[in-house]
Amino acid sequence: MTSYIVRRLFATLPVMAVVALFVFFLLRFAPGDPAAIIAGDDATAESIAAVRAKLGLDRPMVEQFVVWVGQLLQGDMGVSIFSNLAVTRLIAQRLEPTVALTLSTLFVAVALAIPIGVVAAWKARKLVDRLAMAFAVLGFAMPTFVLAYILIYFFAVQWQLLPVQGYSPIREGFWPFVESLILPSVALGITYMALIARITRASMLEVLAQDYIRTANSKGLATDRVLLLHALKNAAVPIVTVIGIGIALLISGVVITETVFNIPGLGRLTVDAVLKRDYPVVQGLILVFAGAKVLVNLIIDISYAFLDPRIRY
Amino acid sequence: MAEASILEVRDLHTQFRTLDGIVRAVDGVSFHVGRGETLGIVGESGCGKSVTAMSILRLIPPETGRIAAGSIKFEGEELTTLSDEAMKRLRGHRISMIFQEPMTSLNPVLTVGTQIAENVVRHLNVPWSAARDRAREMLDLVRIADARRRLDEYPHQLSGGMRQRVMIAMALSCDPQVLIADEPTTALDVTIQAQILDLMIELKEKTGTAIVLITHDLGVVAETTERVVVMYAGRKVEEAPVEALFAEPLHPYTRGLMRAIPRLDVEADAAGTRPRLQEIPGLVPILTKPIIGCAFAPRCGFATDRCRSEAPPLVEGGTGHTVACWEVERLRASA
Repeated sequence: MTSYIVRRLFATLPVMAVVALFVFFLLRFAPGDPAAIIAGDDATAESIAAVRAKLGLDRPMVEQFVVWVGQLLQGDMGVSIFSNLAVTRLIAQRLEPTVALTLSTLFVAVALAIPIGVVAAWKARKLVDRLAMAFAVLGFAMPTFVLAYILIYFFAVQWQLLPVQGYSPIREGFWPFVESLILPSVALGITYMALIARITRASMLEVLAQDYIRTANSKGLATDRVLLLHALKNAAVPIVTVIGIGIALLISGVVITETVFNIPGLGRLTVDAVLKRDYPVVQGLILVFAGAKVLVNLIIDISYAFLDPRIRY
Repeated sequence: MAEASILEVRDLHTQFRTLDGIVRAVDGVSFHVGRGETLGIVGESGCGKSVTAMSILRLIPPETGRIAAGSIKFEGEELTTLSDEAMKRLRGHRISMIFQEPMTSLNPVLTVGTQIAENVVRHLNVPWSAARDRAREMLDLVRIADARRRLDEYPHQLSGGMRQRVMIAMALSCDPQVLIADEPTTALDVTIQAQILDLMIELKEKTGTAIVLITHDLGVVAETTERVVVMYAGRKVEEAPVEALFAEPLHPYTRGLMRAIPRLDVEADAAGTRPRLQEIPGLVPILTKPIIGCAFAPRCGFATDRCRSEAPPLVEGGTGHTVACWEVERLRASA
């Protein structure tokens, strides 16, 4: 197991190298020029060239890449073109809201999806099942931002139960922190809940038809033990896989949700940096997202071994 | 005899709804099982043996099937009308079951120990530690070596024969009065088959558990059972003590089954070949249509017009030997 994890961690290096290569050159081939943005609307060609030279963007691209990778290997992601702050520091500042939102969304989605999926499979083709699946389809079809505004309208504006928007860091109190996360997590979690609930139902249905479930029933075990231990543990591998895929979706979903709820997280930082062509910041962010995705995949793969004793690494 | 019987099935009808109509999988079957007795239920695939077993434990999936009529009495208590909760308390405790497929009947993600012990915890209200001790005891009983280590193993680490031993250990862990074994050895190698059967019989002697052994294998029946019920197309066609049945099978279907068994005591001819096995011509009838007359008539060499129009009743043909056939006398004469 340990050697497997070490091998997998080493295998992430080439993945990250390819990501670095792509993000660097794609950004520079994309239209838009940070020097022109800094120089302003009335800038002459000379003043733009001067800014470009100051930023080092006039150097050959390969040279710029080598310099950047050299910095990266020392743990330095460079400096923002606009704010002049270190990229690592910018990311670190924005990390907490995004991580908090991702985890709370994950929690909302899984906490709703698993019970819905299990009950739907248990009561397959009955009314409860049809209602649950209708709810799931609705949740999946509804765009996050639409749901977000509906939730804000009722819970924040009409009933004034929760803050309209904004983020309250955890060090400023646990309850304000939780309150600020409820609406965004639900808005973002519903889509994701629908996906997991459908997979849970499908996976459970398959498992419930197996011989060992008949055996469990022939032992007269209580229904909850049959469903939650005998069936769900067998159905878990596809469910966990989808949760992993969902985390990738979440990262892109966070961008919209952070904008709607005005949360100062990585999503907002990404949008701002892309719009301004802040190359070092975009590069740093993409690497962090890619690294997170690779790590999640690794965790998911390792979890298989705990869920199914037949899987060994 | 009736007082001594622990399980009494009377006129059982179990039906399934399918797209082609209602399948009468069990169509009026009656039999009883005495305390500590071994009863065999024999017949080809699709004759309703397994459905009978599943009906006794009320494990027929309610979405598609139901017990349409009849009575199942266990220790005098009617099971067909018992509450679901009471039925769950009975299953695995006083009546338990083992299945044909040892490879798939155990849960692949739970340890052997957990799967045995959970049955004990559920029914005997003992703490997990005591249930685990019981599980180890049961593994010793079914002669699985190194039981303590095996408790923490998963089913995929065991061979087919061992898994069936685990199933038996599980089924007997709460000292049931009746064990229903549905083709328990069919999926196993011949040598393992014999070991498993011997084990079941030995444990039966030890614990006094009655066994209902469901099989298509007459060899297994001859070796292990005391009394035999022969089923065909959802009906009981013959019932007899095992010696009587093999000495003189009275139903043409039973005779057909026996002729389909390879025999070593038949003389080979000069070329060293033995007579071909005789198969029963034709196929089992389609059970979606009501069967008029004797269900076996279309495949039977003795069938008359009466067989095709009127169902034969079960009649006593000797001590404890009943048969449902109009042409018993002709059949006897032809033997």
